Amino acid sequence: MHAPTWLRWAWVVPAAFLLAFLAIPLASLGRQVISPGTVGYLFDPLPWRVAGLASGQAIVSTLLALAIGLPMANVLTRYRFWGRRWALALATVPFVLPTVVVALAFRALLGGSLGSGFALVVLAHAYLNLAVVVRIVGARWVTIDPRMELTARSLGAGPWTAFRTVTWPALRPAIASAAAIVFVFSFTSLGVVLLIGDSSTRTLESLVLRQTSILLDFQGAAVSAAIQALVVGSVLVWAARQRAAQRGGSARPMRLIRPRGRSSLAVGVVATAAAVIVLAPVLALVWASLRSSSGWTLAWWSGLFGPNTIDAGSTRIGSPLSAMARSLTFAIATGAVAAVVGGLAAVSVLTGRIGRAFAIATALPLGISAATLGLGTLLAYGRPPLDLRATGLLVPIAHALIAVPLVVAVATPTLRATDPRLVTVAANLGARPTRAWWTGYGPALRTVMVAAGGLACAVSLGEFGAASFLARADGPTVPLVIARLLGRPGEASFGVAAALAVVLVIMTTTLVAAVDRGGRRR
Amino acid sequence: MKESTGLRVVDLVIGYDSPLHEPFTFSVAPGDVLAVVGPSGCGKSTLLGTIAGLTPALGGSIEIGGRDITALPINERRVAMVFQEALLFPHLNVRDNVAYGPRRAGVSREEARAEADRLLTWVDLEGYGDRSIEQLSGGQAQRVSLARALAAKPDALCLDEPFSALDAPLRSRLAQDVLAIVARAGIPAIHVTHDPDEAAAMAHGNPGGSILSM
Amino acid sequence: MKRISTAVLATLSASALVLTACSTNETTTDATEDATQSAATPSADEPVTVQLLTHDSFALSEDVIADFEESSGIDIELVSGGDAGSMVAGAILAAGAPTADVMFGVDNTLVTRALDEGVFEPYTSPEADSLRPDLADQTFDGLVTPIDFGDVCINIDDTWFEAEGIAPPTTLDDLVDPTYSGLLVVQDPGTSSPGLAFLLSTVARYGDEWPTYWQELKDNDVAIAGSWSDAYYGDFTFGGGGDRPIVVSYATSPPAEIVYAEGEPPETVSTSSMDDGCYRQIEYAGILAGTDNVEAAQQVVDWLLSAPVQEDIPLNMFVFPARAGTPLPEVFTEFAGQVERAEQLPADYVAENVEGLLTEWGSVMGR
Repeated sequence: MHAPTWLRWAWVVPAAFLLAFLAIPLASLGRQVISPGTVGYLFDPLPWRVAGLASGQAIVSTLLALAIGLPMANVLTRYRFWGRRWALALATVPFVLPTVVVALAFRALLGGSLGSGFALVVLAHAYLNLAVVVRIVGARWVTIDPRMELTARSLGAGPWTAFRTVTWPALRPAIASAAAIVFVFSFTSLGVVLLIGDSSTRTLESLVLRQTSILLDFQGAAVSAAIQALVVGSVLVWAARQRAAQRGGSARPMRLIRPRGRSSLAVGVVATAAAVIVLAPVLALVWASLRSSSGWTLAWWSGLFGPNTIDAGSTRIGSPLSAMARSLTFAIATGAVAAVVGGLAAVSVLTGRIGRAFAIATALPLGISAATLGLGTLLAYGRPPLDLRATGLLVPIAHALIAVPLVVAVATPTLRATDPRLVTVAANLGARPTRAWWTGYGPALRTVMVAAGGLACAVSLGEFGAASFLARADGPTVPLVIARLLGRPGEASFGVAAALAVVLVIMTTTLVAAVDRGGRRR
Repeated sequence: MKESTGLRVVDLVIGYDSPLHEPFTFSVAPGDVLAVVGPSGCGKSTLLGTIAGLTPALGGSIEIGGRDITALPINERRVAMVFQEALLFPHLNVRDNVAYGPRRAGVSREEARAEADRLLTWVDLEGYGDRSIEQLSGGQAQRVSLARALAAKPDALCLDEPFSALDAPLRSRLAQDVLAIVARAGIPAIHVTHDPDEAAAMAHGNPGGSILSM
Repeated sequence: MKRISTAVLATLSASALVLTACSTNETTTDATEDATQSAATPSADEPVTVQLLTHDSFALSEDVIADFEESSGIDIELVSGGDAGSMVAGAILAAGAPTADVMFGVDNTLVTRALDEGVFEPYTSPEADSLRPDLADQTFDGLVTPIDFGDVCINIDDTWFEAEGIAPPTTLDDLVDPTYSGLLVVQDPGTSSPGLAFLLSTVARYGDEWPTYWQELKDNDVAIAGSWSDAYYGDFTFGGGGDRPIVVSYATSPPAEIVYAEGEPPETVSTSSMDDGCYRQIEYAGILAGTDNVEAAQQVVDWLLSAPVQEDIPLNMFVFPARAGTPLPEVFTEFAGQVERAEQLPADYVAENVEGLLTEWGSVMGR
């Protein structure tokens, strides 16, 4: 192994981060809640039944997200066409739309035909998680030489067989990563389930919320949260196994393919379908932001930016404008923290110093419910002797905690595909260890960190649950303001919320496109 | 009758939206090598791609063994491609890489593997079957790639700069091997290179060899 | 080589800190906060900060807060606890070593549990003398102070009923009448606070017979939404593109429709609140046991019940002030539901039975 010595210690950063902001909060909460009697709650059939229901729902959501997301990942990351970069950034949009907004947009678009319930929830989950599939699988797919499949075809394989026997095995670890994450997000979903779900779509997360905030049954909640963590942990172990099985491939992105003939038709169809799928709810929002009972209006937009705005300056809660600035800073901070922590975690996993258990540990925050994490963080860092709330650090830290698993999932398959011989070659040419290592892994690391950083920014921009616990009441983020507006009557509330959601979409698209562009310039 | 069993290209127009070159007409007999040489960017690879089916022809026809393949999809042309990089399938070991073509043709797993071992012997890699492709050197990988192409029993072989990633001594050795293998397989081959010496070696190392300069 | 590693780590964590530090700068440059800081610094000899834990629907006018900060020398720091239920959960878990000094917004469905867990420190505000008579005895032995109340009521889209030529329902009993079949949307009481309030109002009204009433609602094709937003903006004919003209909402939703209308406030509003079958939610404030700031915290509770805050409450939070004789804004007197007698259940009854009620509701409704 030609890894430089400091790399052996790379795991310290993510480990310390997880200890401080995951383990300690959970321990503070557990100490308060868990007693020997808690074990008895394990025999309550309710949480197990909910776990079963939620698993079924999450599997269907995952399959649907893959069915829509894989063709999108293929076209958006591998083919050259006009507007590709923006299309790719737009594909991230569903991920950041606050669930409140997506739920209402889906109701508006499909509610008449589907009502609420299973179908609507599954569609909303697939929609929200498209970006996970596109980003994670796309990051791998761009590194697969398109001539590999052509070679297979020249050896007699039909198009489908070539995909199945050559591209699929190469993609499988990345698809497993993405599927695991979509499953976990759907399995632990809260907002969508509360807003448009019914009894067939309950999740443990919604059970935890009911147990904590309505029934105040903390021991029952602890058991439900533990079952959720158990299921999520098992899925993550499975995904880690799949990833470890990966072999070969290049770590460098291939040149984009210029679509011709039939393939340009296919690219056109998929790109258009992607645009329609991604944009339909967004356009519904744009429409809502421009309509009032008396026809077309710009009142909601001027309500957002004008001097005499909804709430602006009149209450301590602050203007939508200040929430935008705040969300943006949180997002950038989250992106940076998550890229550093997640990048070092991925590198540590790669060098095999600490093994798979650690990789799984970094992914665990995905399975911790927002309520659990929020309450634990408050107990650990929200009161003397250590009150960090006023520093404004807690929100980006919580968001980074949620984003790190995504960073690791994006980074590991690609880093694993990097040929370690490059390092050897560089070392043989006389480069010092760090330099040689960087020559080998640097380009891949840079590409991947940028993709992952963009995803982390997006996580932060759209996150609601943890922020509702940890943001200052007078310092809400954009999703919190939207939820607030949607929590009261009046067409101005709805109109301004729609306008603000559109702003959130624009912020995300621009930020992610900028990050992607920055990543391509060397 | 040799003509009808070889590769025949008549008035073939290559290019994407507009022709890249004036129409080609040539034929390559079974066991012979046509060396195509020219500076990069002049359309050599496009010519090869058009014959293999990666790029549709803008006009003219391509026949192999009297069969018109101009409009056929890649996998029905029976033209095997070997690229500059070996492009071995990373999730398969050396033997299963070579057995890939026979498997697609419906040969049973055992027979395909036996065939693969036979071809590995042809390319001097006897006993390498169980290795993972990460354990191969650049020259070995390219030989496996060649064996894989031949195992599919193609009617023609297209070699796109297959040696350019290798160093000089290895290159000339491999060139000799390719000539011998092509002659033994008895199929027409087109060899694209930017290196005139390599083109000359390929063309003249073979009784029916010729050079097409672009 | 160890030196290199620590240097690298130091750089990494330093850069993370720099980036997050930016966010703090950003928040403090908010226009809304400048006023606070300039107001607080000059007056107080020794500025005290009181952390006020609230739920995510809290709002008060900036100048009301600033005036108090200036006159008292106390800085108010608003701390969010998520929704009301999560906030109470957090307060219970931190009982004795609280995450703030004062909590505002615990309501009568949750307050008993908080009291049982010793969340509050006793305090009877001198301002409590001015509470409305019906709230004066609601202080749970001086542990909490009622600050405001609101009524969860059936809302009706009057325009729809006018257009259809049907008389709108006026009582809970009407809702099971076949005339109103398929017209009502309620919220799931297991996930929505107004949904739970509506369930409790039927329990208060029908006693042990409440499951029968719900069975009849179900037979009358009631729709169940997951949340208030989903019901109001998704199903209600007035709020959005829905097809149901009767919804569970608040007595103050009609005035909110006026205040948050487009442009000039309209003269009338097309929704009204049904006066029968409303459930009263009372919000309390209390001092969190274990705070070091008892004296300042007491001042904040007094202030919450003082005339300026009480007058400010209706138009910010769309609830009614707890202080007797507080003048109401015109939109309230004109358009809010005037509930003569709201349904109520004893707080300890709710605390003990809520789980059983939800389970039984679920089995009746097949959810």
